[in-house]
Amino acid sequence: MSADHSFLDNRVLSRLLGLPLNARQPMMGSVSGRHRSPVRGSSVEFAQYRKYVPGDDTRRLDWRTWGRSDRYYIKEFEADTNLRLALIVDASGSMGYGEAGNTRLDYGRKLAGTLAYLAAQQGDAAGLWGVGKDHRQKIPAKRGATHLRLILDQLSLIEARGETTVLESLHEAAEQVSQRALVLVVSDFFVEPAELKHALEHLKFRRHDVALFHLLDPAELKFDFDRPARFVDMEDGETMMVDPALIARRYREVVKTYLADIDEIIRTTGADYHRITLETPYDDVLAKFLLARLQSKGRR
Amino acid sequence: MSFLAPLLLLGLPLALLPIAIHLIHMRRRRRVMWAATMFLKAAQRMNKGFSKLRQYLILAFRMLAVAAIVFVVGRPLAGGLLGLTGGAPATVIVLLDRSASMEQQLLATGVSKRAAALQNLTAAINEAYGDRSKITLIDSATLQPVVLESVDALPDLPQAGPSDTAADIPSLMQAALDYITTNQTGRTDVWIVSDLRRSDWNEGGGRWQALRAGFSSLDSVRFQVLAYPEAPENGLGIAVERVVRRETAGKAELLLDAQLFRSGPGEDLADVTVPVRVIVNGAVSTIEVPLKGREALLQSQAIPIDLNTKRGWGRVEIPADPSPSDNVFHFVFDDPPPLKSTIVSDASEVFLPLQAALQAPADPTRSYACQVLPPGRAAEIVWEETALVVWQAPIPAGDSVIAAQLGAHVRAGRGLILLPPEEPGDAAFDGIRWTAWQSARPNEPVLVDWWRDDSGLLSSTRAGRALPVGEIKVRRWCGIEGETIPLARLGEAAEEATLLAQATHESGTAAYFLSTLPGAGTSSLARDGVVLFALLHRALNEGAESLGNALQRTAARDALGDAPASWRQLESGDGDGQSLSFELPLQAGVLQREAAAPDQPGVLVALNRPPGEDAPQSLGKVELDELFDGLDWRLLERSLENEKSLASEVWRIFLLLMGAALLFEALLCLPARPEKAEIDWKGEKA
Repeated sequence: MSADHSFLDNRVLSRLLGLPLNARQPMMGSVSGRHRSPVRGSSVEFAQYRKYVPGDDTRRLDWRTWGRSDRYYIKEFEADTNLRLALIVDASGSMGYGEAGNTRLDYGRKLAGTLAYLAAQQGDAAGLWGVGKDHRQKIPAKRGATHLRLILDQLSLIEARGETTVLESLHEAAEQVSQRALVLVVSDFFVEPAELKHALEHLKFRRHDVALFHLLDPAELKFDFDRPARFVDMEDGETMMVDPALIARRYREVVKTYLADIDEIIRTTGADYHRITLETPYDDVLAKFLLARLQSKGRR
Repeated sequence: MSFLAPLLLLGLPLALLPIAIHLIHMRRRRRVMWAATMFLKAAQRMNKGFSKLRQYLILAFRMLAVAAIVFVVGRPLAGGLLGLTGGAPATVIVLLDRSASMEQQLLATGVSKRAAALQNLTAAINEAYGDRSKITLIDSATLQPVVLESVDALPDLPQAGPSDTAADIPSLMQAALDYITTNQTGRTDVWIVSDLRRSDWNEGGGRWQALRAGFSSLDSVRFQVLAYPEAPENGLGIAVERVVRRETAGKAELLLDAQLFRSGPGEDLADVTVPVRVIVNGAVSTIEVPLKGREALLQSQAIPIDLNTKRGWGRVEIPADPSPSDNVFHFVFDDPPPLKSTIVSDASEVFLPLQAALQAPADPTRSYACQVLPPGRAAEIVWEETALVVWQAPIPAGDSVIAAQLGAHVRAGRGLILLPPEEPGDAAFDGIRWTAWQSARPNEPVLVDWWRDDSGLLSSTRAGRALPVGEIKVRRWCGIEGETIPLARLGEAAEEATLLAQATHESGTAAYFLSTLPGAGTSSLARDGVVLFALLHRALNEGAESLGNALQRTAARDALGDAPASWRQLESGDGDGQSLSFELPLQAGVLQREAAAPDQPGVLVALNRPPGEDAPQSLGKVELDELFDGLDWRLLERSLENEKSLASEVWRIFLLLMGAALLFEALLCLPARPEKAEIDWKGEKA
């Protein structure tokens, strides 16, 4: 069966192809690439001199410095490596919010698919974690067109259902994604902020570059209902009789507090956070995201 | 609470309709698939208390509104405080005060207190009890229970009509007690309809205690006093005190003594001139009487009459006012009979001063005669002609002929004064006996400490001067045992022994007991003769009122004796002269009984209201509380000006309640004022 890759928009791809997907910190890639690595390598970009110690490759001795100072120095150069992009897409029931064909998951699919494509195009490895309570697709990060197709296929097959496991998935990614990687999370983050903070700190401890795409619908923020209604939880099916006239004010207070907590978490963890309302064109979101990373390319 | 349409209250479960609708509505509410339920739950948690309370309040107000509608259509009645609601009693006894004062009316409508009360009571019983209770009427004039087929008949019954009698409320209560105990009436409501006149209620009488005890022993008897205590404002009244025919120089005239009075609040009463009409045998003459203050006296007002008119009748009238019963006073006149008295005594020091006093002409127009008989010849007394008997001898034994004759003499309204014999004996008259003689210390006679000067034999003169009773010195006195009304008491030295007592018979007539003698060694009654003279002549005049062929009586059920049907009404209070025979003694007017022999004149009687009906003082709540102490009773005061129904429909209250409930419900349902959400959508990195 041929998967539907309609979430990829050629117009958007051609617009964004000129913008590189950079990491904000050195990456530990498996092959040579365009991203800085924390180790010294064999690129043409001089890094530093250091004293020779026994065991060093004598071919890398700088003879000219020996001639001037009668001391042995090793000349080191920067190493460039590739990027490992771990895409974590929340596939809980709440991601199905929105009109059919334009749900939160659809939006997230576009973001994740486009980024995977961009990464593949610049020779980086990309992997996909589609996470839900009773379903999980995990594709390790690899390079190549075939692997990209696999990721896109999986993206197209992800369905929003069940309760969220985004926190568990973040902890899991922190443990399982080997070496430094760009962990990019697409979710509504309807979780306790304190637990989210804990998960982000875990990723930071593992030196991953974390980027969060927080997808929210304006209706969820405004809570603009006028008549009592039966609200059904999209994750566990629980029903609540709610009179909006009574609780709207409280609801907005809760939302405000929640968003403030998220902001505080981002400040402390340093994650690359993007709060996105679904009415914002996703190519604008991605353009901003890539441009921001262009300006803060990872230092060694 | 009772309802005119109680079946409609079956619709009360409809009050649950809002709950049912609420439940249905809950099931049919719009379903919204929602992702951000964590916010919703948190908001619900924060708002749970008030939200629930508000929801319950809304439901409660809706239920209240529906229930109020059901109550409105059920036509609720007010009157729970009166005992009109809460279920019909088995028996309702109406004790109706038919006294003359109950005819006080509102001039604008012509409705009397009695008629208004009956209408109101009938409507209330009809509405509240329907035909579930047995209705019995006992009226003050006849004291006879009448069981009604329907309460609607109450206002039209002759026994509930107007009368010119006094009301004896204790007797009325006793009649109700007897009826309840005899008929075992079950749960009973006793409605007392009265204007609370003190003269009718006799709150100081000794019978109330026995009545309270009697009613306390009964279960399920409630009293409702429907009172119209309002006194007439500046109501005028007139009463004739004496009518005497006089012939001088070939012409005849009636000498009329009358009292014009007015009642009402306030001290600054304007001076008025009242036209008093005197109608004698159809001839009308009008006298303009100036009235300053509360009363004016007409003394020996001469009314010319035909020389040949030896006897006849007439009336005095004043213009109509709110109190019609005291606007007319009837009188009759005839040659007055001689004022005959008999002294039964064998002690000359006693009977001589008595005889001298009784033979002295207090009224020069009349003739006086007094005979003295020893006790052994008491049978020679001419009872039919004797106005007063002074008995200074042992009281005859109860089963003796002379005792029966004395009793009949008193019941006929004639006078009897009993003086103590030297040997008192054990016999009693109407339960009252002499005990033993007591003596004061030598040379320290006992003075009279208290005497009743407002009424009775020792009352002050018409000019208001008190009799010199306090100057009487008593050296010996005889004790009196039995239930009497004291009219004079000796000082503390005599341990406040009774000097003069009145023994009132059931028929209302009275015998007097004087506990000392006029002799020099006993008291100074003979020496200070004014008191003795006044006392004897007042008793003589009282007794003479029932002698002769022209009698002046107060309307009462026994005013015409045992055969009221033998009397023919010549003139009545309302002028139509068509009263029923058993009502004849109850209505003011002039009546005649034909003589047994054709050559003898018939007897004329003028019936008038009792004097007590002219006294407007009424009982207050405090006195009623004392009278009904320990009984289940309620007072409901009404006035003619502000007549309110006893049981009124109160649907408007429920309608207001419903409106209020709906208003509160609407307020609670008002949507909260929309707020401008101030949320930072963009987050940390815009």
